[in-house]
Amino acid sequence: MVFALNIYRRLLGAQVRGQMQYRASFFFEFFGAILITLFEYASLALVFDRFGSLQGWSLGEVAFLYGLSEISFGVMNLLFGGFDPGTFGIEIRRGTFDQYLLRPINITLQVLSSRFVLRRIGKIGVGLGIFITALNMTSIHWNIAKIIYLPMVVLGITFFFGSLFMVGSTITFWTVESIEVINIFTYGGSFMISHPMHIYPNWLRRIFTYVIPAAFLNYYPALYFLDKPDPFNLPAAASFAAPLAGIIFIFISTAFWLFGIQHYQSTGT
Amino acid sequence: MRLFWEITKTSYQRYLSYRAATIAGLITNFFFGILRAAILIALYGTRKEVAGISLQGAITYAALTQSIIGYLSLFGWVDLMNTVYTGQIANDLLKPMSYFRFWLAQDLGRAGVNFVFRGMIVILGYSLIFDLVWPQSISQWIALTLALILSWLLSFSWRFITNLAAFWTPNAYGISRFFFIFSWFFSGFLMPLRYFPDWVVKLSYLTPFPHMLNTVVEIYLNLVQGPDLIMALLYQLIWIAVLITSGQLILRSGVRRLVILGG
Repeated sequence: MVFALNIYRRLLGAQVRGQMQYRASFFFEFFGAILITLFEYASLALVFDRFGSLQGWSLGEVAFLYGLSEISFGVMNLLFGGFDPGTFGIEIRRGTFDQYLLRPINITLQVLSSRFVLRRIGKIGVGLGIFITALNMTSIHWNIAKIIYLPMVVLGITFFFGSLFMVGSTITFWTVESIEVINIFTYGGSFMISHPMHIYPNWLRRIFTYVIPAAFLNYYPALYFLDKPDPFNLPAAASFAAPLAGIIFIFISTAFWLFGIQHYQSTGT
Repeated sequence: MRLFWEITKTSYQRYLSYRAATIAGLITNFFFGILRAAILIALYGTRKEVAGISLQGAITYAALTQSIIGYLSLFGWVDLMNTVYTGQIANDLLKPMSYFRFWLAQDLGRAGVNFVFRGMIVILGYSLIFDLVWPQSISQWIALTLALILSWLLSFSWRFITNLAAFWTPNAYGISRFFFIFSWFFSGFLMPLRYFPDWVVKLSYLTPFPHMLNTVVEIYLNLVQGPDLIMALLYQLIWIAVLITSGQLILRSGVRRLVILGG
């Protein structure tokens, strides 16, 4: 374990140094990551005055969802960057994934540390900023339970999207081409849970509640933090399912990933 | 001119063969369009009209922007940049036509495939789910067609410039992405510009981006008419001239310092 952590740290360090080599490029990528998150949020925040509410939710309440989603997805992107299906697919196609198999280090660890993209810290920073403005605009009645539960929600969302990345990458073992449709669930899912679930058409909300449990990641926890009633009358436990959903998903996807490695056949390039 | 159309045709056929990418793009456009429409519907609530745009117009906006984003390639475009890094550019610069026109011809093929197989399908698909607004008169259709052609020309001239950054640095992907991000916000892709406070609108119109997308939206929704419409098209033309000229100047100084590695 200590050995593994040491390797992880060194591989990450090498990448950080690598990214800092092209100063100008890093600068643009870092501020680009900040701007994109900022612009997306600003496009909602700046028009909010005109409309007053998002079907009953104030800007502060939406910002609560938005901030949590951005922070968690940013952390996920940082930790699970190696499993980004887009770039992982390229490794499979080029055959560079084979190199991992030749090294005497755990394959999952190598993939996890293969793409540590520093610019994503910028996105996490903006997410934190949005979250703090949300706290200022709303008056949450904090108690011990809420304080303990908050980081568990972040963990749940992080694991959930991390597991989608792993599944998307594992599928490329068979398809070779990276399947872009997974982006709907990852990037689309993160955009979706940045807004309250009750604004979506019923069929869409049901899919993202019962088939893919995205509603439990952010919306239901937010109902608990903001003391809002559930318009769909699910049991109160629904607000506390986020960490569980994340952990179940990460277990399933890890099993699928290990199964995939066992059946990997190189493209031979 | 024959060479131009030949390149366009080849490029059109090449992009036509990327079926998986086209289908993935289609599904993504559909999905995000539905989310954006849902957000707009929720914002409107019981309001009939906001900043001159009806609810039906707002939903149409979500469908329209999703359907032309692929055609305009506003999400990013690094095809030219890639050829600088692979060395392919050495051949392209030797072709018996201007470098700008060579890429313009190729991009026309790309835009054509995206217009027909993503744009039209996406907006027709949305018209099955939502009650969309359509242009009402022949003159509005003509203005829309002109605006669409000009916005492609403008977006291409802009993308051409962003890709030229590759002449100066060995990794210009971050730089080009940085500039593309501005276009998403200021073109009115994230929200119709009319909803924003005055200062944001004024700021946007200092850039070429509203003329790439927002102008098309406003003409489609019949928000500009008469002299304003003529001015909107004129502004597109002026920005095209500005960006093409700057592109040529940047290209000229870039080619002089271009080093192509053998390989």
